[in-house]
Parts: sequence; structure tokens; C-alpha cells
Amino acid sequence: MPEARRPLPGTRETLEVGATVREALPNALFRVELATETRTSVTAHVAGESSLLRLRPGDEVVVEIAPYDAGRGRIVRRR
Amino acid sequence: MSVQKSWSELQNMARACRIVVNALDALEAAALAGVTTREMDRIAREHIEKAGARPAFLGYRGYPATLCISVNEEVVHGIPGPRKLREGDIVGLDLGCVVDGFYGDAARTVAVGRTSEEAQRLMKVTRESLFAGIDTCHPGKRVGDIGHAVQTHAERHGYSVVREFVGHGIGTSLHEEPQVPNYGPPGRRERLVAGMCLAIEPMVNVGRSEVDVLADGWTAVTRDRSLSAHYELSVAVTQHGPWILSEPYPYGQAEAANA
Repeated sequence: MPEARRPLPGTRETLEVGATVREALPNALFRVELATETRTSVTAHVAGESSLLRLRPGDEVVVEIAPYDAGRGRIVRRR
Repeated sequence: MSVQKSWSELQNMARACRIVVNALDALEAAALAGVTTREMDRIAREHIEKAGARPAFLGYRGYPATLCISVNEEVVHGIPGPRKLREGDIVGLDLGCVVDGFYGDAARTVAVGRTSEEAQRLMKVTRESLFAGIDTCHPGKRVGDIGHAVQTHAERHGYSVVREFVGHGIGTSLHEEPQVPNYGPPGRRERLVAGMCLAIEPMVNVGRSEVDVLADGWTAVTRDRSLSAHYELSVAVTQHGPWILSEPYPYGQAEAANA
């Protein structure tokens, strides 16, 4: 009987969700609104790529959210 | 950390595994059109109890039966019920037992009557994938080498391997460390040492690898509803290589003492 897979220690299982940028905050942070039914707002920082630093309100992005803190995210790419 | 078993503990493991495989032989013969999956469960339980063992799955995390029976697009953990097997179905039979505190676990997929060429090919490739995994079970190799061998073989034939469920260490519990995925890069994860016992169990799909669990909380089906097959054997790593615990020790009696 197979066992449900557990993630390896030290690996992160993140959830990717679509989102819309609402507001640019200081320190390359953005307030984004998730494209989920509840339209939750999360604070997100950008991942690597500098083109993401020039995001403007209204831009469509993909945000990665860790299960530990649903209020923070990481903008992975444009959508 | 996984537990290394002594030679006498391996004998007990082998006893449990033989009971399971004997019962699977009986179930394979009984898998005929018109038989219900509940009837198959009854046969499984009778065989296990007649052999002086106890079902390992019954009650495990609330699982309600002795046998897992997974038809066609069902991958694993199908619960026996009123469903009747039909000509052309492929049926995953997964069974475990406990004797004197030691667990045996094995599975195979069988055809009901005549089935499609695609289904036959899937079963053949899945079984070969299992043996590709078993063949890597030498001390010094790693758990990732097993998964890599399984995945490589299945994907070479255009199939995909399930990620959400994995094989496992086995011994005095049904599921022990380490987990044994059927995919991934070689050279990673735990090192294999003599005395480890692993249940290696590729689940291979004709279509994509994603699976969903149905509302019963157990039955896993392929998301694209493509056919899926499942084979499993419990294997001990010995200093001479793999020992499929349901078979006689393959490396000669003289060597047995220092396996």
C-alpha cells in the first residue's frame, strides 16, 4: 500500500496563484490582490529579475505563497 | 533512519511476504467478469487468516478493508464494494498482512479476461519498472537510484509515473522510513545498506501523472482518467544484492548467515 508523499526536509511546498498589483510599496514590496474568490490582499516581494521591479498598479502577476504565512508572497513572474 | 533487520528478522519478513503473494495468486485466479470487488476482499481475508496472519490494511489510518482494489483509471487505494469486474478491466490488487509483528506488502495488476493491447503493454512496462527498481537494490546505492530506474523505464515507453504516492520502508510497521519515490534524480536520498527492507511500488499511467483522491478519502484516480497500473514487492537489501522477500533467498545457503 503506497504512502502519501512527504516533501523532503528543507524543501518548500509553495502555492502559485494569479494576482493583480494594487500598490507599489517601499523596498521593492508590492501590495497585490489574489485572483481568488476572496480577493485577499498580500504583501509580496519580487523574485530576482529586475524587470519585475518596475511593476505598476494593475499589472497581472503570479505570486508564490508559502503555507506558513498566507499574508506574504513572492512575485515570480508576469502573467 | 531506516531500521536494519537481522537475518532472523528477514526470515519473518519473508514469511509475511509469501503469505501475501500466495493470496495474490488466488485473487488473480478469482478475478473474473461478474465477481464483485467485495467478494475479492473476502477471498483476500480468508487466505490471510487461514495462513495464520492478520490483514495489515484493515483499520490502517481508518482503511475499511483487507484489500485495495483499483479498477482501470483507479490508481491505488480503491475500496472494495458492490462493483462487478467486467471483461477487459485491469484490476490493481494491493494486499498486506502481519505475522508475529512483521509486515508483508505486495501488489499486482491483473486483466479480467481479454483486455486491450494498450492495457497489456502498460502492465508489462509497469512490472518491468518494478524490476528495474529492484535491480538497483545493492548496498551503497541510494534510494534516489531506485526511483530514477523506475521513472526512466516507464517514461522510455511514453508513460508517466505517479508522484503523490510513494513506496516505503517496511518491517514491524507497514510504513517505515525511508520513503521510496518512483521518480527523481539518481544519487540522492538515503544510502542503501544491507538489512534494509523496502516496498517498491511503481504506479504508472498511460496519460499524465496527476492523480485525484475521490470523495471517499481513499480512492486515487488519474486526473485525465487514463489507465493506470501498479506493481509492488517487498525487497531486502543484502550484501549480495536484492532479495525479493516472497521468493527463496537467491544467493545460496552458505552465504545466508552473513546476508
